[in-house]
Amino acid sequence: MLLDGKRLLITGVLTGASIAHAVARTAQEEGADIVLTGFGRAKAITERIAGRLPNPPDVLELDVTVPEHLDGVADELAQRWGRLDGFVHAIGFAPPSALGGGFLEAPWEDVATALHVSTYSFAAMGRAFAPLLAKTGGGSVVGLDFDASVAWPAYDWMGVAKAGLESTCRYLARDLGAQGTRVNLVAAGPLKTMAAKSIPGFADFDAAWARRAPLGWDVNDSEPVARTVCALLSDWMPAVTGEIVHADGGVHAMGADLR
Amino acid sequence: MGPVYDRVKELLVDKFGVPADEISPEATFDDLDLDSLDLVEFALAAEEDLGVRISDEEAEELETLGDAVSLLEAKGAKVSA
Repeated sequence: MLLDGKRLLITGVLTGASIAHAVARTAQEEGADIVLTGFGRAKAITERIAGRLPNPPDVLELDVTVPEHLDGVADELAQRWGRLDGFVHAIGFAPPSALGGGFLEAPWEDVATALHVSTYSFAAMGRAFAPLLAKTGGGSVVGLDFDASVAWPAYDWMGVAKAGLESTCRYLARDLGAQGTRVNLVAAGPLKTMAAKSIPGFADFDAAWARRAPLGWDVNDSEPVARTVCALLSDWMPAVTGEIVHADGGVHAMGADLR
Repeated sequence: MGPVYDRVKELLVDKFGVPADEISPEATFDDLDLDSLDLVEFALAAEEDLGVRISDEEAEELETLGDAVSLLEAKGAKVSA
């Protein structure tokens, strides 16, 4: 199996529709041993969803903006496994003022929250888990992205946060390269997750993908993205780091609508 | 209302900390201070308890407690003794 014996930390499982939920399921099916994380009130939901996975994993408390939480999870994994083969960063948040219009009016405090949770946390996780990743000869780190090379309707400061995430990926790849850790992002097409529901104007993305994806795109199917994440977590992309893999039906490569 | 309503009421009081005297068939989830995250959890709890699945989309459409009970009953929710 692709991920036989891999020990993985997967963040961002909220509902059954979460991309991270599909990643968790696929990783287990491919032989990985996983632990999930949950945050605040949503942890109760994560625990219920975890109970429905083929092999119900533990859910650890992790607010990525709290350094003590990151250290706590690292300690717990050190005791449990003594090493880590990889983690998945599937975390993003922007206050309502920073999404869905009003780009020029959003106050710095709200923008700062979006960047702290959605961008800086990738580096913070990299730092916290680097020692455990080093023990497996480097391991693989994967984050979830939405193509930030262009501006989108409604996406606003979350788009800026993703642009920062893309840059953070390159710098994290630079600084963790010496210990053999690969750091990559998967830029997904739009999927109907809780995160997507909080973006007013999501329907515009949906329509754009229907017109532009050479391979077509199903907004209800997270599995193509989950498989891509698992491929990057596996040993089969050993020289790939600092990269953004587009699991988007090919939309990023098209210059105009096809249909 | 029937046994499904009573069970849903129990669920909201025990698991979601809603004061029993605020619960009525006409009460909206807004009235009860339950947001979209609570609704997702409510749908999962109801599924485990009553054996019927409410999709995220269906959960989003629910406004009042009575709506939720009608949907659960229409889907054949059974209250075990």
